[in-house]
Amino acid sequence: MPETPAALLASPAFALPLNVAAFLFGVWLYRRSGTALLHPIVGASLLVAATLHLLDIGYPDYQRASGLLYALLGPAVVALAVPLRQNLAIIRRAAMPLTVTLVAGAALAPLIGVGIALLLGASGPVLAALSGKAVTTPIALAIAAKVRAAESLTVGIVVFSGVVGAVLGPPLMRWLGAGDERIIGFVLGINAHAIGTARSLEISALCGAFAALAMGLCGALTAILLPLLAAGG
Amino acid sequence: MVPGRLSAASERHRERVNTWRRLPGWLAGAAILAGTHFAGNWLQASLALPVPGSVLGMLLLVAGLLVYGSVPRGLAEISGVLLRLLALLFLPAATGLFFLDSLAPADWVGLFAATVFGTLASIALCALLLKRLLLRGRREDTDA
Repeated sequence: MPETPAALLASPAFALPLNVAAFLFGVWLYRRSGTALLHPIVGASLLVAATLHLLDIGYPDYQRASGLLYALLGPAVVALAVPLRQNLAIIRRAAMPLTVTLVAGAALAPLIGVGIALLLGASGPVLAALSGKAVTTPIALAIAAKVRAAESLTVGIVVFSGVVGAVLGPPLMRWLGAGDERIIGFVLGINAHAIGTARSLEISALCGAFAALAMGLCGALTAILLPLLAAGG
Repeated sequence: MVPGRLSAASERHRERVNTWRRLPGWLAGAAILAGTHFAGNWLQASLALPVPGSVLGMLLLVAGLLVYGSVPRGLAEISGVLLRLLALLFLPAATGLFFLDSLAPADWVGLFAATVFGTLASIALCALLLKRLLLRGRREDTDA
């Protein structure tokens, strides 16, 4: 058991309840507000950051104390296999269009992002983190470690583009005349990851199934290609 | 999907009654996830593959489930719990965004613009592409 108050604050005994409480607060705020702008991760991370600042806890200490959550990320990625397997039958019918869109989207999302950042003169670490943009967070974290991008920057980008895509994506696609639920789900899965998949599940079960598929496949594809590109280049 | 939704309440009730009887199924599901994750990591390390072990584990599990023919119930439930808790699992990493002080202002502008406009442009292009491809596929279906 930690001896001093400071050591207690930097131990899992404080960090884990803090994480769970912040997560519950984030979920509550999200349900209360009814807007995808306040996705649970937004409210929860704000609350944790504020708590760490107020109690003067160092981020590395907090990160170390939250090790259990990191340890569960790997199994969570493996768990994506379940929605993938369950939706395989519906997907086979549209296999070709989905494959082409998936490959194009997996390449487009990071390319457009890196391109804009390059035009605006962003530095190398930012570009490396942007290249993992098109994948869901747990996979992005694993890739970030492989291509040596800053972990929190990668997660921040994934979460932020997820929020932007989930909020503005569906109206944008309907405006473009592509309001088919299969299209909305699949495109949100590619571009807005877990947050887009959650949003798609709110639209309909079919929409959510296509999003889960796109999220898993896009993640797998980027995970396979990006480290290969980084190793080659 | 409507029948599934109707039975959701009674399903929840049954779940509470049967929690203890279902525990072995959940433990087996968790063991499958942990085992596949371990197998993925082992494969990654022993073949020195550039792909993360967890992604290899996911692909292994999809293949395994295809061979098995269905998704065991305990595995489906424990996976559902993990995926619903994803936001909690990456909370520590996301919080780190507030503790990045090494970025130059130009980096922040580039990052913000790239994320907002990059995401919207990519969404528009993907949606239009998929719409075209789906329409063409349907036309070929009716022709045949």
